Amino acid sequence: MKDDIAAQELCELLARRQLPTGGWSALSCSSQASVESSALAYIVLPSDFASARQRATQFLLAMQSANGSWPSFAGDDKDGSWTTSLVLIALQDNIETIVHRFSGFRWLLQSAGKESHWLWKWKFLTTDRHVRFDPNKFGWPWIPQTNSWVVPTAFSILALNMLPGGCGFPNREHRLELGIQMLLDRACPGGGWNAGNGVVYGRRMTPHPDDTAVALLALLGRTKDPIVSASVDQLDRIAPDLNAPWSLAWSILGLTAHGRPVKSLVERLSCWPNLDQVEDTSTIAICCLALDYPRALARFGLVV
Amino acid sequence: MTLNRREILLGAAALTAGMSVSAPFFIPRYREVRRPSRSRVAILNAEQYSQNIEAVLMQGLRLFKIDLRRKSVVLKPNLVDYIPGNAINTHPLLVAAASECFRKLGAKQVVVAEGPGHQRDTELVISESGYTPMLREGGIRFVDLNRDELIKVRLRADYSGLKQLWLPRTVVFADFFVSMPKIKTHHWSGVTLSMKNMFGVVPGTRYGWPKNILHWHGIQECILDICATVPIHFVIADGIVTMEGNGPLDGSPRPLGVVVLSTDPVAIDATCARLMGLAPDRVAHLKEAAKFLGNSSLDLIDQAAEDLRFPTVPFKVMPEFEFLRQTASLDS
Repeated sequence: MKDDIAAQELCELLARRQLPTGGWSALSCSSQASVESSALAYIVLPSDFASARQRATQFLLAMQSANGSWPSFAGDDKDGSWTTSLVLIALQDNIETIVHRFSGFRWLLQSAGKESHWLWKWKFLTTDRHVRFDPNKFGWPWIPQTNSWVVPTAFSILALNMLPGGCGFPNREHRLELGIQMLLDRACPGGGWNAGNGVVYGRRMTPHPDDTAVALLALLGRTKDPIVSASVDQLDRIAPDLNAPWSLAWSILGLTAHGRPVKSLVERLSCWPNLDQVEDTSTIAICCLALDYPRALARFGLVV
Repeated sequence: MTLNRREILLGAAALTAGMSVSAPFFIPRYREVRRPSRSRVAILNAEQYSQNIEAVLMQGLRLFKIDLRRKSVVLKPNLVDYIPGNAINTHPLLVAAASECFRKLGAKQVVVAEGPGHQRDTELVISESGYTPMLREGGIRFVDLNRDELIKVRLRADYSGLKQLWLPRTVVFADFFVSMPKIKTHHWSGVTLSMKNMFGVVPGTRYGWPKNILHWHGIQECILDICATVPIHFVIADGIVTMEGNGPLDGSPRPLGVVVLSTDPVAIDATCARLMGLAPDRVAHLKEAAKFLGNSSLDLIDQAAEDLRFPTVPFKVMPEFEFLRQTASLDS
């Protein structure tokens, strides 16, 4: 009950922070609309915020570039960014956006980490071996002309899982499997993920709770994989001591998706001091989702 | 010897082709020279992080003529990630001391700003690194540069080929920008000091975590382009406990017991390199920056406060950067 009240208050806060353009800025002090924050706010707001959702839909559609992608923020260049997958997740149930989403999926399936090119693949297999990874297993980059990383790959997998098979995208299954293999390849030894560097110069790197949780959402179909189960255990171990709402909220989502009890974590989040004064819109949105965790996973297209 | 018309034409064509190929190597890649005629660097002894650090810092700041009246000051510490036991980040006590000193020197406003390059959860890095109480008790505003409002800026040098970058408003409009690096070795750039610290101004929401585009366009090249574009007005380097070996995250702590100050980022980075037992003229970005951004030569740097001491044993570096280590004490 307390969680419901906290979630409702955060939704109202989000609605109040909506910009006149229909989007949301990354920080409350700014007027520059961020696509990540806007997509997350859209995912969070329930249907009783119909007017805010309608204005947000118009904003997101207006932001789409001619090539089908979405930029990072209003005014950004038009070459595309990782937020494309997040917008596709946000607009999943919105029938009026179907044409826009199809061009977004088309762009997403053409986008790939730079290591997928034979020349760079050869470089990473031969001369540049400081970061341990298999360039044959590639996913999605944050922006074009860069490597694949964990978070954009995980969001792309979640988005593509929402695209029904046989929709005219023959390489969907192949890209999905490659993306999953890439995530498994980039895990930290002992479980969990950071941005995507599991081992550098032969040394084990430390996982990050938020990256781990996002990857776990994308790997929900692979629960029996030892890397996945080790990662769930690792996140379960560290989550109770997290000192920041963003990581705690993502951990709640990642753990509940894999069947771990999260009640005590949710209670902790609902009592977080001054949550309504957090400047970062995306943090408010993710906290709102985590407080409403029984229903939140469906918004990422996940059925537990 | 006489030349016929055909030979003259062929010679002219060859000369033109030769010039067009070699010209890029001779035309400067920077748009302006900001190097002062001489630079001052102050090395302050500070054995440990303590409340006394503010007095030490104020004493050091008085060695420089800096006018902060009515200016907004941005302190940019090095906050990359948090790994217990590793000396990764600029210590919060030093940042708090800097904030207090600049306020006392008349600054209109002091903010701490950073965009961590590995961790998306900036608040987690701040909290785990001990910054939260410092910011709260000091009433200091923190700006997450990964999520700040962005402005497209044309780069004022062209080493990387990037031409332009989206940069945070807080950085672009700062009256007085202070780079506060942690003195560390770095497995990809040799050292990470005040100039490499500027990677933190590149916004993650636009370029991702890590800021991989900078790696693809060349780390040393991007350092030069960013530092040519965003002027560093002052540097306070945290050398009390530094990092050697596999920096910037996974090296070993190495106590050096100093805080180093300067108005010249190249001079201070060269001095820090010397304090680490590394040759500044072998660090690619420092060597190039000494042509237009500041002084690296010992002859052009006035040492204030303590004398420059070269370590008996140079800092450990990754095998690729072994050439940076120098046991002989001096270069020019």
